[in-house]
Amino acid sequence: MDSGAVAIVIAWVLGAYALVVSIWGGLKQRQDLVRSGEHAVLAMWAFTTVATADLLRGLVSRDFNLEYVAQYSSSTLPLHYTVAALWGGQAGSLLFWLTILSSMAAVVILQNRHQNRTLMPMVTATLMAIAVFFASLLVFVTPPFQRLAFTPGDGRDLNPLLQNYWMTMHPPSLYLGYVGCSIPFAFAVAALVTGRLDDVWIRTTRRWTLFAWFFLSLGNLFGALWAYRVLGWGGYWAWDPVENAALMPWLTCTAYLHSVMIQEKKNMLRIWNMVLVILTFLLTIFGTFLTRSGVISSVHSFTQSGLGPFFIAFLAVAATLSFALLMWRLPVLKSTNEIDSMLSREAAFLVNNLVFLGMAFAVFWGTLFPVISEAVRGVKITVGPPFFNRVNTPLGLLLLFLMGVGPLLAWRRASLASLRRNFFWPTVAGVTVAVACTVGGIRHGYALLSFSLCAFVVATIVQEFWRGARARQLLLGERWPVAVARLTAKNRRRYGGYVVHLGVVMIFLAITGTSAFRVEEQVTVKPGEAFEVGHYRLLFEKVDAWETAHSAHMAAHLAVFEHNQRVDTLKPEKRFYKKPEQPATEVAIRSHLGSDLYVVFGSYDSASQTATILAYINPLVGFLEWGGLTLVFGTLIAAWPQRSARKVPEWEASAAASSGSHSLS
Amino acid sequence: MKRKARLGFAAVVLVGAVAYLMYTGVRETAVYYITVEEFAQRRHSLVGEGVRIAGRVTPGSVQRRMSPRGEEVWFELGDFQDDGHVTPVIRVFYVGVVPDMFRDEGGSDVIVEGQYDGSILRAQTVLTSCPSKYEAIEPGSDSQGTRK
Repeated sequence: MDSGAVAIVIAWVLGAYALVVSIWGGLKQRQDLVRSGEHAVLAMWAFTTVATADLLRGLVSRDFNLEYVAQYSSSTLPLHYTVAALWGGQAGSLLFWLTILSSMAAVVILQNRHQNRTLMPMVTATLMAIAVFFASLLVFVTPPFQRLAFTPGDGRDLNPLLQNYWMTMHPPSLYLGYVGCSIPFAFAVAALVTGRLDDVWIRTTRRWTLFAWFFLSLGNLFGALWAYRVLGWGGYWAWDPVENAALMPWLTCTAYLHSVMIQEKKNMLRIWNMVLVILTFLLTIFGTFLTRSGVISSVHSFTQSGLGPFFIAFLAVAATLSFALLMWRLPVLKSTNEIDSMLSREAAFLVNNLVFLGMAFAVFWGTLFPVISEAVRGVKITVGPPFFNRVNTPLGLLLLFLMGVGPLLAWRRASLASLRRNFFWPTVAGVTVAVACTVGGIRHGYALLSFSLCAFVVATIVQEFWRGARARQLLLGERWPVAVARLTAKNRRRYGGYVVHLGVVMIFLAITGTSAFRVEEQVTVKPGEAFEVGHYRLLFEKVDAWETAHSAHMAAHLAVFEHNQRVDTLKPEKRFYKKPEQPATEVAIRSHLGSDLYVVFGSYDSASQTATILAYINPLVGFLEWGGLTLVFGTLIAAWPQRSARKVPEWEASAAASSGSHSLS
Repeated sequence: MKRKARLGFAAVVLVGAVAYLMYTGVRETAVYYITVEEFAQRRHSLVGEGVRIAGRVTPGSVQRRMSPRGEEVWFELGDFQDDGHVTPVIRVFYVGVVPDMFRDEGGSDVIVEGQYDGSILRAQTVLTSCPSKYEAIEPGSDSQGTRK
């Protein structure tokens, strides 16, 4: 038996032991038992790591006698994709998931050796319940260390679609995000069970939530970039069930990140926050279920198997238990505080939450519509991307608006004077951009609104930085860059949040540009013929063919002319992979500030020498990456540890006070 | 209490708006999603309807021709039988670029979306459902392919 297989079984035993002992120790208030459970978790972490290392060893040493290795890699697969094959298949990705979960559980236990001792038994128990579920799948249903009766000469190779740079990063990010959501969930469950319902559990998991959210965002973005570069249909988001599966927990998690501030500040929305944490966790499991079960046909559900029923059972148990706990504690959770005014930050956040939840629900409904309609009416009916766009576009724009308004409204009640002071310049910016766009010939209603709101939000953010920095400059005589840097460093959560918002605005720009102003051309051409797309002229020169051990290639050479000047040569390819005999498309992209020229080599008929070329112009799509980078930067600022023991000097307090509104945190 | 009512009102408006958008969205974009087998049973009731049909490309039925509008593709969408044969059910016409995984020999599983005009299906989209495993499913073998 492989050492990895043994390690998984031991990890399962340790997880089950930790689960039982933690609950027992928590009930009987026996610290020795609780500690013993925690040590078991640390040991479990070691054993899952050994198992993962062993699978990696099998992959890297090309041990094709292992079924998993034979199925998801080959002798010609480059090393980095061989490592990525760890999460390229089902058993491997479940093992990877379990390893991440046990690693995070170990970190949580090390962090809380001397604090949160009442919460910890149930935190451990909850995390271990999840871990035991995944470990059970690995032990009983899809063991990753299955040996073959014979050793094949070579493996079947990783799906060519997965052999892409972004694809190596997309699944790990998403898993880190998914698994990260279990930590706040575990603390929420512990708070419900123990009745410690103050905001300790929220403060303890603040950074974990941010961590999970960060990786969920990255996972979604990497997935979009992968789809854009690899799938070759010119877009990056198709509202496919698997994409939706990753988006839904992100929506509820984002809602939670915002509403949690209200609980910390005003001790309100305590039930609501519990619901959001539970929902987010359930949606991460549901997302894995959608991806793994194939219950809804998806263009890229890469792994379909009989795991569906197990996930459904686990989901049902988790949902029942957590909502039952919530119902039980409902009387204690009821908050005494109320919203004072509709014109307050609380109200804006509440509306923001409703919109996020509305979007999540619409996405959920649309994704499950075939299943729902079949159950209700006996016919399977699907809704396509137009449904999702139709619902989410107005809701998204409302969110964009709230993103500008929310942070500038005062807590409790905003005065008319403060409204005028805070929103004069942003409104001017928004209106100016709207007028400029109209004059520039944009007639697309949603696009106009979106651009205008983007300008409005950016203006609010700039104004916030400007006011804060200006106050420091006046009071302390700091130069501008120093003032901005120190201002941010002193209020990381607030200004980091603004930077994240800036990134989101960029993503909105990209979405608006590509959905409203995309140009699409499909032509059949012979060598020497040219065609136009947007303001470019493309000349089809020739087809070039070559071969490697791994794949055969055929590239169309397209000369790109802009204003009669040759500016580039694009070489989109058709590839043919040899191991899984499968063709693949390699798009060619000319990225330019403002827009991408995106060409796909559709098909080629060698007899008549005609080629089908698809060409797209995707305006503003580059902002997707810039927005992602900005979002990363902002999250890092917001999550960076701050020495809290320091007393705030008087001057700093006055500088913050004169900078307009109150702190976000 | 008045404030609470106002907030409740805002929530109701929002929920109503979401519900309205979803309702009209479903009404305008919904298509029947059926298998070729179901299509064969009720094809007469589907004339003029938007349908999304899952089936298999009948081996040997694909004809391709370059046209100025792009590649014209004709094929028979068929039903995959237990004995491994594919019975043709409906003729599909599509102009555009078919996905990489669309193949004639061996037959690939596809999802075709378009309008049925009584004799042929004019497809707007042809999607291949991506097989997760690479065991070529030989006629006659079980769906697990070459697993030991």
